[in-house]
Amino acid sequence: MDKATIELLARRAGLAKALAEFPEDVAAAAKQAADVASRIEQPTEPTAEPWPPMRAGRGL
Amino acid sequence: MSELHWLSAAQAARAIAAKELSPVALMQALLDRIARLDPKLNVFIRLDAEAALAAAMAAETEAAAGRLRGPLHGVPVGIKDIIDVAGLPTTAHSKILEDNIAAADAVCVQKLRGAGAIVLGKVATHEFAIGGPSFDLPWPPARNPWNTDHHPGGSSSGSGAGVAGGLFPLALGTDTGGSVRNPASCCGIVGLKPTYGLVSRRGVLPLSFTLDHIGPMTRSVADNALMLEAIGGHDPLDPGSAASAAGRYAAALDRSVRGLRVGFVRHFHEVDVPAEPEVTAALAHVARTLQMEGAEVRGIRLPTLGEFAAVNRVILQSEAWAIHAPWLRERPGDYGQLSRRRLMAGAFFGAGDYVQAQRRRLQMIAEIEAAFREVDVLLCASSMDPPCRIDRPADIDRTYARQARTPFNVSGHPALAMLAGLSVDGLPISVQFVGRYFEEATVFQVARAWEQAAGTDKKHPPVV
Repeated sequence: MDKATIELLARRAGLAKALAEFPEDVAAAAKQAADVASRIEQPTEPTAEPWPPMRAGRGL
Repeated sequence: MSELHWLSAAQAARAIAAKELSPVALMQALLDRIARLDPKLNVFIRLDAEAALAAAMAAETEAAAGRLRGPLHGVPVGIKDIIDVAGLPTTAHSKILEDNIAAADAVCVQKLRGAGAIVLGKVATHEFAIGGPSFDLPWPPARNPWNTDHHPGGSSSGSGAGVAGGLFPLALGTDTGGSVRNPASCCGIVGLKPTYGLVSRRGVLPLSFTLDHIGPMTRSVADNALMLEAIGGHDPLDPGSAASAAGRYAAALDRSVRGLRVGFVRHFHEVDVPAEPEVTAALAHVARTLQMEGAEVRGIRLPTLGEFAAVNRVILQSEAWAIHAPWLRERPGDYGQLSRRRLMAGAFFGAGDYVQAQRRRLQMIAEIEAAFREVDVLLCASSMDPPCRIDRPADIDRTYARQARTPFNVSGHPALAMLAGLSVDGLPISVQFVGRYFEEATVFQVARAWEQAAGTDKKHPPVV
């Protein structure tokens, strides 16, 4: 992720203050996120459900 | 009677019930030890000595009159500082919540008090159960009683160090990516992450709603079972609470493991994240010992540790971002650097990343469930290394990722870490046992067999 994209996403997330005071931490956080998301095998089966499934009638 | 600070909870409770031990004498012995050792171990954020002594006096009066509150009557307990104790601050070891006084006990604390346990105080954690060990927070990080230059693991650092150091026999920890089992591994004690939903999360500061677990940390398997009996069970006001009641775990501890099918997940420590040779040898020794006790040990394959860790991270950091976004936007400078970096990562995932991680999670759960049709319990590594030095951030970074705990936060299966042996440097090496959903009794049964064969509950840190 390039610097301009990181700054854009950080501002969109409301992290303008963090970006001004801790730019290296914001960049490190963005790098962590990009690295970790790319390590997940994407399910190819269209019907693969997320966990936990919706369960009607099981509320409080 | 042996030294009071090494009494197990079960021994202490039995002696108190038999009027052979005064709860006040026990509490005073622990307070004296805390006064001597805590300046080196940094376990306590808030020691509530006055209230603990008053509660011990009340427990003594009740015991003298034959009125026992429950199976932990008069037994002291340490509480991780993201868990509410009425009237005490829940700081999460953070400047952000320095003045946050809890109005009520968390359900797990209520239940411990109902069983007769006495709260000693609030103990150190990694900031918000994610950022540590850190030296830029209002309180110092806890240290390992086996060697105070070393990391006690985290995030339930104070719970692990306090139990191992003989400051209290029982502690509550929480586990979202391994935070009960990591300090249990580093400090050579017994730490259980129960089945997701077995212990109520109400009154506990969340880190990640679908990964958070509360678990018991003790010096023996029997104490762990006793503590889980006290804190487990359905809570209608916790949306993630399971319908199950807590089991009667302590009664079934001494069943033989003969005929039990143990699945040894070797690729975790041999291929995915190659362990230190001492750890590999210790795990093989545990497997051989269980075989000699009559268990049948066979190999099992699961998805790779790298992928489990990635799924855990995407879900954890996305959910944590939802909780921390308002503070990170307004007060980023009030977090320690480690937490700030880890928690802000959640801002950079898309909704699609989160949903894909949850879809992959269900597939991974199915693969673990398939393994449990072949075997009764899994044996695998917990940490791939003995605990590293606490003052070397590069070593902390390197060893934190070298673990096999996150798979069972992703899946929600019960998982217990405990001492497997000691390294040549005299530091704890660990093993992990994992069971089917709500079959903590089987996990305890295997852990107890190993404990009895190896005498792990008799090994205490030499430096304290």
